[in-house]
Amino acid sequence: MLRKTFSIWATTVVASAALAATPVSAQELRVLVHNSFSLPKPMLAQFESESGIKLGIIKGGDAGEMLNKLILTRAQPIADVVFGIDNALVAKAEAANVLEAYTGAAATRASVVPLKGPIVAVDYGYVNLNYDKAWFAKSGLALPKSLDDLAQPAYRDLLVVQNPATSSPGYAFLLATVAGMGDAAAFDWWARMRANGVKVAKGWSEAYYTEFSRNGGSRPLVVSYASSPAAEVFYSKEKLTVPPTGNLFLKGGVMRQVEGVALVRGGQNREAAARFIEFMRSRPVQEALQTTMWMFAAEPGVARPDVLRHASEPVQFEDPASDLVASKGADWVSRWTRVVLK
Amino acid sequence: MGMGRTTWGWPAVGLALVPALFLGLVMLAPLWRLALEARAGASWQMVAELWRDDYLRWRVSWSFLQAGATCVAALVLALPVSWALARFHFPGRALVLRLLMLPFVVPTLVAAMGVLALWGPRGWISGWIGIDLQDTPWLLLYGNLFFNLCLVVRAGVEALGQVSAARVAAARTLGATPWRVFWRVEWPAIVPWLASALCLVFLYCLSGFGLALVLGGQRYATVEVEIYTLVAHELKLAQAGVLALCMALLTGLIALAYAWIEQRLAAPGRADAIALRPPAGPGAWCAVAGALLVLGFFCAAPLLAIGIRAATAGPDAWSHVFDEESLRAIWNTLRFTAMALLLATVLGVTHALAARRSIWLRAGAFLPFIVSPVTVAFGLLLMYPGWSASLSMLVAAYALLAYPFVAKSLGAALDVQPEHLTQAARTLGATPWRLFWRVTLPLAMPSLRRGMAFAAATALGEFAVTLFLSRPEWATLTTLIYERLGRPGAGNRDDALVLAAVLMLLSLLVFLLIEQPGSGRRDAAFGRAGAARA
Amino acid sequence: MQRLGERELRVLELKDIRKTFDDLAGGHWVLAEGLNLQVPSGSTVAVLGPSGSGKSTLLKIIAGLEPQDSGTVSFDGVDLARVPPERRRFALMFQDFALFAHLNVRDNVAFGLVEQGLGRAVARERALAMLVVFGLAERARFKVWKLSGGEQQRVALARALITEPRLLLLDEPFSALDAQLRAGLRDEFAQHIAQRRIATVLVTHDEAEARAMAQRGYRLTAGHLHQAW
Repeated sequence: MLRKTFSIWATTVVASAALAATPVSAQELRVLVHNSFSLPKPMLAQFESESGIKLGIIKGGDAGEMLNKLILTRAQPIADVVFGIDNALVAKAEAANVLEAYTGAAATRASVVPLKGPIVAVDYGYVNLNYDKAWFAKSGLALPKSLDDLAQPAYRDLLVVQNPATSSPGYAFLLATVAGMGDAAAFDWWARMRANGVKVAKGWSEAYYTEFSRNGGSRPLVVSYASSPAAEVFYSKEKLTVPPTGNLFLKGGVMRQVEGVALVRGGQNREAAARFIEFMRSRPVQEALQTTMWMFAAEPGVARPDVLRHASEPVQFEDPASDLVASKGADWVSRWTRVVLK
Repeated sequence: MGMGRTTWGWPAVGLALVPALFLGLVMLAPLWRLALEARAGASWQMVAELWRDDYLRWRVSWSFLQAGATCVAALVLALPVSWALARFHFPGRALVLRLLMLPFVVPTLVAAMGVLALWGPRGWISGWIGIDLQDTPWLLLYGNLFFNLCLVVRAGVEALGQVSAARVAAARTLGATPWRVFWRVEWPAIVPWLASALCLVFLYCLSGFGLALVLGGQRYATVEVEIYTLVAHELKLAQAGVLALCMALLTGLIALAYAWIEQRLAAPGRADAIALRPPAGPGAWCAVAGALLVLGFFCAAPLLAIGIRAATAGPDAWSHVFDEESLRAIWNTLRFTAMALLLATVLGVTHALAARRSIWLRAGAFLPFIVSPVTVAFGLLLMYPGWSASLSMLVAAYALLAYPFVAKSLGAALDVQPEHLTQAARTLGATPWRLFWRVTLPLAMPSLRRGMAFAAATALGEFAVTLFLSRPEWATLTTLIYERLGRPGAGNRDDALVLAAVLMLLSLLVFLLIEQPGSGRRDAAFGRAGAARA
Repeated sequence: MQRLGERELRVLELKDIRKTFDDLAGGHWVLAEGLNLQVPSGSTVAVLGPSGSGKSTLLKIIAGLEPQDSGTVSFDGVDLARVPPERRRFALMFQDFALFAHLNVRDNVAFGLVEQGLGRAVARERALAMLVVFGLAERARFKVWKLSGGEQQRVALARALITEPRLLLLDEPFSALDAQLRAGLRDEFAQHIAQRRIATVLVTHDEAEARAMAQRGYRLTAGHLHQAW
C-alpha cells in the first residue's frame, strides 16, 4: 500500500516535471555569463520580444572558470556570446582564440574606460579594501595608510583576503599588489602579511559573510569592491543613509576591472548576438546594471543613481597590461600559494 | 558458512548493467575524455615532480589526517548516541531522527554563518562562556562533525536495530553485564554498518565539501582545492589529471578495503530485533539526555541559530519568500529532488542487488565520492558540450551524488536478510523477480526508505552540483541563497537566512513523506518476527 | 510416469551426488560422495546424522537451492538439472519456521497460491479454509510473531501443503519446540502427509522421531547414506 502511494506520487511528479522541462531549442541565443550577472527580468523579456529570439543565459561560475570552460569547448562552443571577460582575462581569451571581433556600432563608440581586444566594454569597477567603521571607531585604531602599515604588529590579524586561485576579486587584489609594488616587494609583503595573521578565505561570500566583522566575524578589513558600501546602504534593513563600511584605497591595493561582452568564435545566431551586444551598451541596460550588478557604466553620459554616491572612486589604481597578466598570472598565483599558504 | 559463490546468470548481469552504464556515461566517459586531453602534457616526470613537491605531500597528509581524526571523533561520539536512540523510546524520537539529516541540506556557507552566530567573536555561546574558538583546530573538528556525525549516528541506529534479541538475552543469562553485552554481542553485529558510514565520512572529509574549510580558511584546505585550481582556473589539465588520478587511487584503495571488510562480515541475521522500550530509571534518562545534548551541541545548534535569526529577520524578509523568484526556486528544488530521487532509487536498488556478488561493485558505490567533482564537471563539459546546459545532465549529476546512499543502505539490509526466507519463498514457487518484489524488498523497505531520505537530503543540499553549468530559470533555493550571499547588505543576508529556514522546513516535509510517520513502530514490529512465544 | 502395481514406484531419485565445500578457514569438507537415494512415492524417508554432517545441504540440493558438484537429481524420471526451485514444487520447511514477517498468517499461507497465479481474493479464501482445517482460523489476521512456536510451524506446514507439493522436505522441523509439543506435532504432520500421500524427506538428528515418522531411514556418514531400517 505504501509502495503504491509512493509510486503514484513519484510518477505524477516526474511526469509533470518532464512536461515542465524546457528543451534547448535551436532558436535560442546562448549567452555565457559569470555568476554575478544580473539584469531586471522585464528588460530581458523586452529584448526577447523585440529581437524575436529566446535568450538562454548560461551561468558558468566565476569569470576565470567561465573563460576556461569556453576555452575547453572551443571545438564545439557552448555559447554564442559571452559576457564577463575582464581586462585581466582578455589576453588569455585572445591567445586561446575563442573570441571574434565585433565591428558594430557599440564597438566604435567611445567608452568611459578602455578595454583592448575583440571585446566591447560594458561596465567597470574597482577591487579594493573595505573597512568596518563600527569596529575601527570602537577600537580607536587609526586606519592604515599604506599596505606596509597592514604588515605592522598594530594591525595583526585584521585582514581577510580571498584565495586568488579560486576567487576573482582575490586574483584582482593580487594583481594589484604585484603591479603596484613590483614582483619582489609584493611577495615580500605577502610573506610579512602571512606572519601578521592574514586570513585567506575561499571566495568573496565566505570572506564577507563569515570573516568580515560587520557580519559577525573577527576581521574588520576585507578585500571587496568599491561599490560595496553603496550596496550596504541599498540593501540595508534600517534604511541607512551612511554606509556602515568604507572604501580604503591604498597604493598597490586597488585594481580596476573592466568587463565586456564579446562574440564567441564558432557561435551561431550572429545577428541576434550583435543585437545583444548593442543591447548591453544601450542606455536602459547601462543604467540598470549599476544597481543590479553594482558596477559603473561604461557608456558615457549615463545617469548615476543616487545611492552610488557612497561608492567612492579611487584617484589612483592599478591596471596591469593584459598580456603581462596572461603570461605571468598563473606563476604569480603559484608563488602566492607557496608564500602565503605553505 | 560464509556467503556462497553464486553464478552470474543473465538477470544478474542485467541488474549490474544499469548502474554500470550510468556510472560509465556520467562519470567514467567524461573522465576518460579529460584524461585524453591531459595526456598530451602528462608524463611520468610530472608524477615524480608532483610527489616531490613538499607542499602537495603536506596537503595530502593533512587531508588524510583530518579525515581520520574526524572518523575517530565521530565514532566515539556516535556509539553512545546511537545506542541511546536505538534502545529507548521517548516522545519526539522520530522527529530527532529526521532532524539528524538537516545538516546535509543546509548550504555550507549558511551553516558557517550559523556556527559563527554561536562561536564567533560576538557569538551567543562564546560571548557567554568567554572563549573565542575562531582559527583553532577545534572549530575545524566541530565543522566536520556537524555534518558527518549524523551519518554515523543514523547508521548506528539502523545497525543496532538489527541485533538479535535472542542473542543478547542469551549473553545476559550467561553472565554478561549490559556493558559487556554491548562489546561482545552488539558491537560485532554493527561493525559492517559503521564501517560503511565511516568510509563515507572519510571520503567526505577528504574531498573537502566542508564546513571545516569555510570556518578554517584556506590554510586547512584539502587537495581538492589544488585540483579545483588546476582544472577550473589554470586549465592545467595534465597536472590536474595526474593529481586526481593519484588521489582516486588512494581513496579507491580505502573503498576497496572497506568493501572487502563488509563482504567478510556480512552474515544473515536472525529477524528478531530488540524492541524499543521507554527509559526506565535515572541511568536510562541520563543516557537519552546525554545523547540529545551531544546531538544538540554538534548538529542542532548551528541550525537553531539560523532558524532563530531567520525568525527574527522581520516581515520584510519573509515577504520576499512569496516573490516570483523564490516561489519558482521552491518549485525547482522540489521537482529536481523528486526526479533525482527517482533516478537514484532505481540506480541504488539495482546496484545493491548486483553488489551482493561482487566486491568491486561494492567498492564502486563510493565511486562518485572518490573522484573530484570538478574533474567530473569539466569532463562532462568536454564530453557532451551540447548537453552541458540541459536538464537531464543536471538531474544525472544530482543522482550521481545521491544514489550511493540508497545503494549502501539497501545493501546493508540485504546482507542481513535471513537465508531461510528467500529459500522458503523459492520453494513456494516464487521466481527470483517475484521473490525480490514480494519478500526481499518489503522486508528491506525500512532501510531503503532511509537510504532514500539521505539521497533526498543530498539532492536538496546540492553538493557541488553548482560546478556544472546552470541556467537562471533552474535556480533552486540553494542557488538563490548563494546569489543573495554574493552581494553585500543586511537585506541580502537576512533574505538568505530566511530562504535557508524555508529549505530546512521543506526538507523536513520531504523526509516525512519518504519515511512515513509510525514507520518507527512498524520497524520494531518487523524485528520481532522470529521471536517465538513460549 | 508412475506405474501402478507391485513394483515400488520411485519418485525422487538421487544418483551419484557429490558435494564438497570449502570454508573460509581453508578447510575442505566432503558432504556427499557417490550418494544415492530413492524415495518411493507416498512414503517418508528419514536421513539421520549429527549436526554439521550436511543433511541440510542435501535438502537444499534436492530443492535446487544449491548445486551439486556432480550427479543427478530426478523426479518421476525427469532430470531436474534445468528446473529452477520455483518450478520443482518441492516444499521446504525449516527449524525456524521462516514465516514472512511483513505478512499476516493468512497471507503467509496464501503466498504460494499467489505465485501459482491465483488471484489474491481466491488465494485468501483457500488459505482461510486451510487454516480452518489446521484449527488456526481465529489467528488468520494475526502477525506471525504473535503465535507460539508450535502454531508458527503449523502455519508453515499449511503454507507448504496448500500448494500441493510433489515432495515435502523437512529440515529438523521440530527442533525448536519442546518435547511435549514435538510428539503432538509429529503425529499431526504424519496425518496430513499420509492423507495427501506426499513423498517426504525428513532430516533430523532425533532417531526416535525419525523412526516414528519414516518408513525408511538412512544415516549420513562420511558422505554416504547407509540404510538403517
